[in-house]
Amino acid sequence: MLLHFRLAIKGARDRDNLAGSYAGNRFAVRRASAVLSLLLFTLMLPPPFAAAQGLDPAALLKPPTDTWPTYNGDYSGSRFSTLDQINAGNVSSLTLAWVFQTHSATIKATPLEVNGILYFSVPDNVWAVDARFGRQIWHYERKSEGHKIGHRGLAMYKNWLYFTTPDAHLVSLDAKDGTVRWIVELADPKLEYFSTMAPLVIRDHVIVGVSGDATDIPGFLESLDPETGNIQWRWNTEPDPGQPGSETWPKDSDAIHHGGGMTWMTGTYDPGLNLLYWGTGNPNPVLVGEGRPGDNLYTCSIVALNPDTGKLAWYFQPSPHDVHDWDAVETPVLFDAEFKGKRRKLLAQASRNGFFFVLDRTNGEHLVTSEFIDQTWAKGVDSRGRPIAKPEAAPSPDGALVEPGSDGSTNWMAPSFDSQTGLFYVNCRRLFSVFYTTVTGKAEGWGGRDRNLWANTTLRALDYRTGKVVWNHELGDGESLAGILTTAGHLLFSADNSGDLLALDPATGKTLWHLNGGGRMAASPMTYELDGRQFLLMPVQDILYAFALPAFQLQGHSDTTHSIR
Amino acid sequence: MRKGSIPSAGRFARCATFLIAVVFAITVTNSPARPQSDVPDPAIERGHKQFVQECGFCHGPDATGARGPDLIRSLLVAHDVKGDLIGGVIRQGRPDKGMPAMPLSDEQVSDIAAFLHARAAEAIRSNRLPSVYPVEKLLTGNAEAGKLFFNGAGGCNKCHSPTGDLDKVASKYSPMDLEAHMLYPGGQHTTVVVTLPSGEQIKGPVAHIDDFMVALRDDSGWYRSFSRDRVKVEIQDPLAAHRELLGKLTQADVHNLFAYLESLK
Repeated sequence: MLLHFRLAIKGARDRDNLAGSYAGNRFAVRRASAVLSLLLFTLMLPPPFAAAQGLDPAALLKPPTDTWPTYNGDYSGSRFSTLDQINAGNVSSLTLAWVFQTHSATIKATPLEVNGILYFSVPDNVWAVDARFGRQIWHYERKSEGHKIGHRGLAMYKNWLYFTTPDAHLVSLDAKDGTVRWIVELADPKLEYFSTMAPLVIRDHVIVGVSGDATDIPGFLESLDPETGNIQWRWNTEPDPGQPGSETWPKDSDAIHHGGGMTWMTGTYDPGLNLLYWGTGNPNPVLVGEGRPGDNLYTCSIVALNPDTGKLAWYFQPSPHDVHDWDAVETPVLFDAEFKGKRRKLLAQASRNGFFFVLDRTNGEHLVTSEFIDQTWAKGVDSRGRPIAKPEAAPSPDGALVEPGSDGSTNWMAPSFDSQTGLFYVNCRRLFSVFYTTVTGKAEGWGGRDRNLWANTTLRALDYRTGKVVWNHELGDGESLAGILTTAGHLLFSADNSGDLLALDPATGKTLWHLNGGGRMAASPMTYELDGRQFLLMPVQDILYAFALPAFQLQGHSDTTHSIR
Repeated sequence: MRKGSIPSAGRFARCATFLIAVVFAITVTNSPARPQSDVPDPAIERGHKQFVQECGFCHGPDATGARGPDLIRSLLVAHDVKGDLIGGVIRQGRPDKGMPAMPLSDEQVSDIAAFLHARAAEAIRSNRLPSVYPVEKLLTGNAEAGKLFFNGAGGCNKCHSPTGDLDKVASKYSPMDLEAHMLYPGGQHTTVVVTLPSGEQIKGPVAHIDDFMVALRDDSGWYRSFSRDRVKVEIQDPLAAHRELLGKLTQADVHNLFAYLESLK
């Protein structure tokens, strides 16, 4: 009876062989959710005003301003809103519209907003909240074992929500009442897989990624059928032996089958080119590279995939043969702009390793590599635009002092590209660490760790044409997890490390508005307009703050002063 | 297309019901035993010896694989509970892959399983620095060169002295803590001088500072805060020199300096 199961130990890549374990967990899921469903809230409040009607995936191509329908608001990942009711001329009169308390873990999600309802998450929990008044509509909880480091948010398709879990499952919920439609297992949590990311809906595909580097497991990205959860395609971070890219792994070992490269942040999409852009995480073992000589493709890479087939179109690798945990999962931001006299379709990433990259997103041609903040690990850039690591910066038993530490020069917090200023914004850090390898013998898992010494955060505006820093706004000592939103109101929203919520002038970095929010922002601000009123959402720890202009100021909305600076 | 409740037959539903039932029992009833303390479990020790003797030739004495596969990365080991899966493999072998059957007792199997789970847990925990770290590993530098750097290029002697604040410093910290403190002592050492519009100056240790406010403890110990647009603020931070040095140190500087400080006992 265990014979079938034994076949499964080849590794998680070979999922068909894992039928036993997956089916078993599916069973468990059913039982647990039967209990949970008794606890679920039914519809507590009727949907406000107009009847809510789900989300047509065609609307994702050009989201209306009364929605924020995907993790990044739209497919480009630029987190630039065309709303300008709140603007540089009136931001000083911004006032609190409502506050929603979750009494939960820190909110790291960017809420979705569709048809007047906000949907957001922390690990194991989803809320639907009235976007006008801040009242709870429903709350879904599914307790699980697994990693609960954070949760980035949800995806929506028609009437259905998609929610990843600490035990690497995908839950489809009815957006009306939070009831479970189905649950499927993405990967085996016993191997330390988990998932924190907000899936991405493209037409009839739900694109889902996974996390986990405590054990040496392979990364992958999947497209699931939004109706059934069935797999449409799977792209493995590590190529099959013999395929292009496999030559960047040793031939005489199983390293390629245990190489890591998790897909834990939401990617971006160009509908015109029909290409999906995704960042991949660090290779495994994490800090010890001796057992995996080579570039270790496609870990620490930006990949362009066909969303209908999962086929790789091109790739670029910000950190070849990474040994510092510098995932290249930071949002690959898409915009069309002039570059050396030509208008081009660009992709830009401020990567965790401290380098800013600009590529031509039609073919992956490398255009710019620059340091967006000090670093001590690279001695230069090669002909393909990739940083060249100093050998002495590799982790060692006696410790290697390196900037940045494993938390990176930046991380998952959202960057932004403002088409009005033409600047790319990133929250970044000075961060020094000593990297130690602690393993004796063959490394498994991490094989070591870095010890943080000092960190300081700054928000920087970069010229995408050169990567040069145009302005710098200090956010204080420590590491920030606050993301960035820019708007057509000539505003940039973020937060500092003292709990101050900020609105800055995106052209200069000068502070235009601030408020002590009583805690650290570990998510990204977002905005939407309902009934002629622009709302600005700022999560602070486990609380959602909604700001707007005072109601009296908005009477006869069309008269609202749109004075710009 | 499926609607309504959670599907019972999905994309992995090729296997028979009995298998589902078995794996269900495995996955929901328990998880692999992972020792929570540093106290060695005698079963792990026994299992280690047993493993080296019976399995080490093919799987490596530390179970990281040799002719046979690495068992720390094994899916079967990850799903095993107290030998219930490992036992079957040991006793029946894997004739197709050249692994012979071995007639071990329940206790021997359970000990081997304990050892393998301990090794897997060790790999998962390898992303934490151990509380005790051997000083020999850190002592790769040259203490004399470190002393030269301390008194010369490093400029450490401008604020520190081996007979003053650093007297017997190596006895006060564990080696790894000493290295971290040497590079960046941390803590709040900043003093601010606030000049009021009247010209009056108030000086004291900072309680909070950001772009908008500054707060300090004054001479009498009371907390006082000011809006930064109404006062002039001068910040005195002795750690600024450490921050400046961090970006300039070579790995050799770090190891030499550590070797020197570690000699101050």
